[in-house]
Amino acid sequence: MSETARNRLMLLIAFVMAAIYLFPLYWMYVTSLKGGSEMFANPPSFWPTAPQWATFTFVWESRNMGRYLWNSTVIAFGSVALIAALGTGCAYVLARYRNVWVDIGLFLILMLQVLPASLMVTPIFVGFTQVGLLDYPRLAVILAIAAKSMPFFVVLVRATFMAVPLELEEAALVDGNSRIGAFFHIVLPLARNGILVSAILIFMQAFGEFVYSKSMIQDVSLQPASVGLNSFMGPNTSEWNNIMAYATMYVTPILAIFVLLQRRIVSGLTSGALK
Amino acid sequence: MRRIFASVRDGRGFDIMLVGVPFTFLFALAGLPLIYNILMSFQEVDMFSLGSFIRPFVGFDNYVALFKQPETIPILTNTVVFVVGSIAGQFLLGFGLALFFWTNFPGASWLRGLFLVSWVMPGLVVGAIWNWILSGDFGVLNFFLRESGLIDGNIFWRSDPDFSLWAVVIANIWLGTSFNMILLSVGLSAIPGDLYEAAEMDGANAWQRFWTITLPMMRSTIGAIISLGLIFTLQQFDLFAAITDGGPNNSSNVAQYWAWDLSFRQYDFGRGATISVIMTVFVMFAAAVYVRSTRHEVRG
Repeated sequence: MSETARNRLMLLIAFVMAAIYLFPLYWMYVTSLKGGSEMFANPPSFWPTAPQWATFTFVWESRNMGRYLWNSTVIAFGSVALIAALGTGCAYVLARYRNVWVDIGLFLILMLQVLPASLMVTPIFVGFTQVGLLDYPRLAVILAIAAKSMPFFVVLVRATFMAVPLELEEAALVDGNSRIGAFFHIVLPLARNGILVSAILIFMQAFGEFVYSKSMIQDVSLQPASVGLNSFMGPNTSEWNNIMAYATMYVTPILAIFVLLQRRIVSGLTSGALK
Repeated sequence: MRRIFASVRDGRGFDIMLVGVPFTFLFALAGLPLIYNILMSFQEVDMFSLGSFIRPFVGFDNYVALFKQPETIPILTNTVVFVVGSIAGQFLLGFGLALFFWTNFPGASWLRGLFLVSWVMPGLVVGAIWNWILSGDFGVLNFFLRESGLIDGNIFWRSDPDFSLWAVVIANIWLGTSFNMILLSVGLSAIPGDLYEAAEMDGANAWQRFWTITLPMMRSTIGAIISLGLIFTLQQFDLFAAITDGGPNNSSNVAQYWAWDLSFRQYDFGRGATISVIMTVFVMFAAAVYVRSTRHEVRG
């Protein structure tokens, strides 16, 4: 078999595997377009015969999705801003030096990275109640998410800083820059792409966060879209086309960002997690 | 005062400030809750004593009472089944896919990256989709299984106690496979190619090359990925909330979901904290294994 034929065959198999793997996603989009009876047809139809585009506007208005997505965005942006502000400097120092203290710091960071949110939410909830933070539930969730996701961000961004040559910074210092000046004018611009990709990853995580929001935000008008989806899915629901339409409107922006920046996100992710 | 200020601007103080602030933040919001959790597991904490700092100290009562509850052992067993089943599925599928894409045809890396959408989607959306796919009468999975002759009647994945846990395991395998595959691909591409050329010259077939070169060279990667898988499966919460809600009758409940359920549905924060403490010990253990297998990276 020639090289091109082999490559074509492999590509074909790869496409088939990707199609099988991504079928659940396809099924979400198809179901969201189906009407009430077509949804429960047997055998199921794999292409909507009469696409019901009106489902989207109906769900958007009846479930008040604009408000839910706004809350998700506020929470995600707040978390990313806090994490980036605190985590970038931390990652820089952990990348710049190599001694026992850095090892201990990294070890602590890695340990904090693994604590499951569903276990940490009990003490955080009780503690926040006692200091009165639950009166500002979205802020409380942002703080909790920041504590949960910052270690991951630090690990990823540290890998980026490791790639910035130390000589450049030293040259800037020799030229009369202060440490702050060298950091902001030389190191940060060079690491900008890696920081941006990590921030996008954190944003996508925070945009879908559920445990903390579900536990700490009682007021419906402040809840994010994940909690809204959860309350939409009752135990005996049958409006699956509406639920899938909700899910579609929720994830499509995330998927669009991901597909556009796929190469960078994947390489950023792999450089930090292991190598 | 001025000397401190100068040091922050241009010296050691700059580094200390950059590390000090985030670590203080992390200590306040992750370290303190961890300690507080242990304290609460020795206290009686309910709706009434939630706001006060002085609460009745009950010693090991929470722990004793917990293990006397009839559902404790089944739930812990479920947790083990969930973890082992998920990790085995994710790892084997992920490794298979990684080996396939490793053959490096044009377009491989782009297609491989596309798989990762399962990982960036909100867990609750993944759960909602699988909830619909797995539904008993109209679920498309049952349709495929019926058509291929594997089953005669519909399986009620979510409401049959024999299958409910597996419903979540299936969804979790789907969720985690891509992540496993990406990390395994990184490990595979780090193996020097001349090893294989040498083995091929010596007459080793593909099967032998896999067992004598690929697997041994991947040892630390595999160790890291299995422990990462353990960490991620123990964090899995959204899928339970979206698919089975731990039911029916706790048949698909696992420790991390139960801990939340005890605290936020039954308002027994003391007992919820107790399970959290027990599970945290396990997670810490997994984390220690993970750190050990990536220590080359940590040490630089």
